[in-house]
Amino acid sequence: MAAKKLRRAQLSQEMCERLSRCQITTCQDFLCLSLLELMKVTGQSYYEVQKLLCKVSRACAPKMQTAYEVKLRKSVNPSSAFLSTTLHSLDRVLHGGVPCGSLTEITSPPGCGKTQFCIMLSVLATLPVSMGGLDGAVIYIDTESAFSAERLIEIAANRFPTYFDSDEKLLCMTRSIHLYRELTCCCVLKRIMSLEEEIISKKVKLIVIDSVASVVRKEFDTKLQGNLAERSNFLTRGASVLKYLAEEFSIPVILTNQITTSLSSGPGIQADLVSPADDLSLSE
Amino acid sequence: MQREVGTLPLAPALRARLAAAGFQTAQELLDTGPCGLSKEIGISREEALEALQVVRQECHGDAARTPGGSGATRKCTALELLEEEQTQGFIITFCSALDNILGGGVQLTKITEICGAPGVGKTQLCMQLAVDVQIPECFGGVAGEAVFIDTEGSFMVDRVADMAAACVQHCHLIAEAQQEEDLRKALETFSLENILSHIYYFRCRDYTELLAQVYLLPEFLSEHSKVRLVVIDGIAFPFRHDFEDLSLRTRLLNGLAQQLIIIANDHKSAVVLTNQMTTRIGQSQSTLVPALGESWGHAATVRLIFHWDNSQRLATLYKSPSQKESTIAYHITSHGFRDAQPPAVTHSTEGTELNPRKRPRTEEEKQ
Repeated sequence: MAAKKLRRAQLSQEMCERLSRCQITTCQDFLCLSLLELMKVTGQSYYEVQKLLCKVSRACAPKMQTAYEVKLRKSVNPSSAFLSTTLHSLDRVLHGGVPCGSLTEITSPPGCGKTQFCIMLSVLATLPVSMGGLDGAVIYIDTESAFSAERLIEIAANRFPTYFDSDEKLLCMTRSIHLYRELTCCCVLKRIMSLEEEIISKKVKLIVIDSVASVVRKEFDTKLQGNLAERSNFLTRGASVLKYLAEEFSIPVILTNQITTSLSSGPGIQADLVSPADDLSLSE
Repeated sequence: MQREVGTLPLAPALRARLAAAGFQTAQELLDTGPCGLSKEIGISREEALEALQVVRQECHGDAARTPGGSGATRKCTALELLEEEQTQGFIITFCSALDNILGGGVQLTKITEICGAPGVGKTQLCMQLAVDVQIPECFGGVAGEAVFIDTEGSFMVDRVADMAAACVQHCHLIAEAQQEEDLRKALETFSLENILSHIYYFRCRDYTELLAQVYLLPEFLSEHSKVRLVVIDGIAFPFRHDFEDLSLRTRLLNGLAQQLIIIANDHKSAVVLTNQMTTRIGQSQSTLVPALGESWGHAATVRLIFHWDNSQRLATLYKSPSQKESTIAYHITSHGFRDAQPPAVTHSTEGTELNPRKRPRTEEEKQ
């Protein structure tokens, strides 16, 4: 939306040419200027510039919906609102399961079972809707090389023996789980950006990123100057793209995180509560 | 009429020509007339006419300054302002402690900023306010509508529906207790569907969409004149990434703040913003401070900071022109934003939490 070219915002041809001479080609460039700058650049009067601003704003502003319309749209298809985890007490606490259309973060100390949980959810997502699944493919971005295909088959065969009764069914399930091994922050971000087309072409219904924390902690040492800003930049960019994908396609996105100790600012430094490792900006 | 030509809102090229031709005041322009003007500075008659119309509009606007006119400066005595403030409504938050420290609730025509770490309850309060602004006047509300601009995607319709149902339930109980006809009549239009239909939701994905939406807000608010609350949930989120040029960010934020103040005043609505927290690395320790920098701190009139103390949620009134700084505890129940439970009461973990504001009859009705 931001990168929308001005000529698609229904500005006149000569106005667009005039603006492009000052390197203003997208709606974003236009809206970032103050009124006086716009007057200088367009050569128009104050009121004309206000009208132009409204025109350009209308081209990029989001559509209005009332909360009631949002609710109606959700209630039209209630079964697709959650991915049930098949753990009844967890489902009850989550009011149905992992919600579709938003990001869910799983955090724990090492060895507690985050990757196992992710593998199980991947199996569940490939099941047909009648069995509580999402009947779709899975994109699994693995940064720790912890994904084991044999474990995947073991879980599927033992958990749903009646459904996966033949090797063919197991292989079919494994074919719909797309695994990407990304080992640096830059690669993870590039991969996240390219997901939109893959989701449409492969009919993906679940995205798992295991884990964001490991790749961030490897590359960014927060004690060094400037790293904190870069790290939060990377995290917020990734988060906003993932949120857009989750909402646009109404699919659940699962992220795993690690634990660190946060030192309290009391008298003397003591290791206090354990808290999720990532910067606050990701958990928003 | 003696206004200088350089201050008129004409196109810069035209202004330059007028200055070169020697025009100094607006009155001179009006006296010359469109034909004379076009001959003197070499523009077409239509352009000259347009320019004169702009000049006339400006000068009339200067002369006929009415109080309360949108965009025009208002002049009033402090007494008039006092009377206005006293009759102005507040948007209650259903947490009486928070309403008390705010002086009655969220004030109209002011910008209130809520800062806090993730998960502490900022979006919950925003959703609660979007419901509370619609409470009819006879119950003590402002009977307005709400605009909800969401940049983070944390608006959960089902949660708002729960809060709205609890609010309607609360009002029904009051109406039954007081047995007044006008209360009952007001309740006919105060239903779940109505409440949800009057929350106008915009999902902005980046700062360009946010800027565009704020430019279009005055027009939207004039069409929907009953709006009394504008919530921007997550003003920090779109500005925290993709900004190498921090001075541009400060400029955009200041522009946003100015527009929001104008909107708050012209349309008599409350503006509520939520902000994130960021860590500031000091010499020896790091502290949590509201995001977006020092200059953003001046934008909001009232600043609330939500934080944790072990497992209790606290709200601190950090900045306010009329109330003193204080901290209170609050609670998020399945019905929404409420007062904290007194320590002697044990809370059950099911949905039926005790709400000190509700009348005792509810416990029997709730099973």
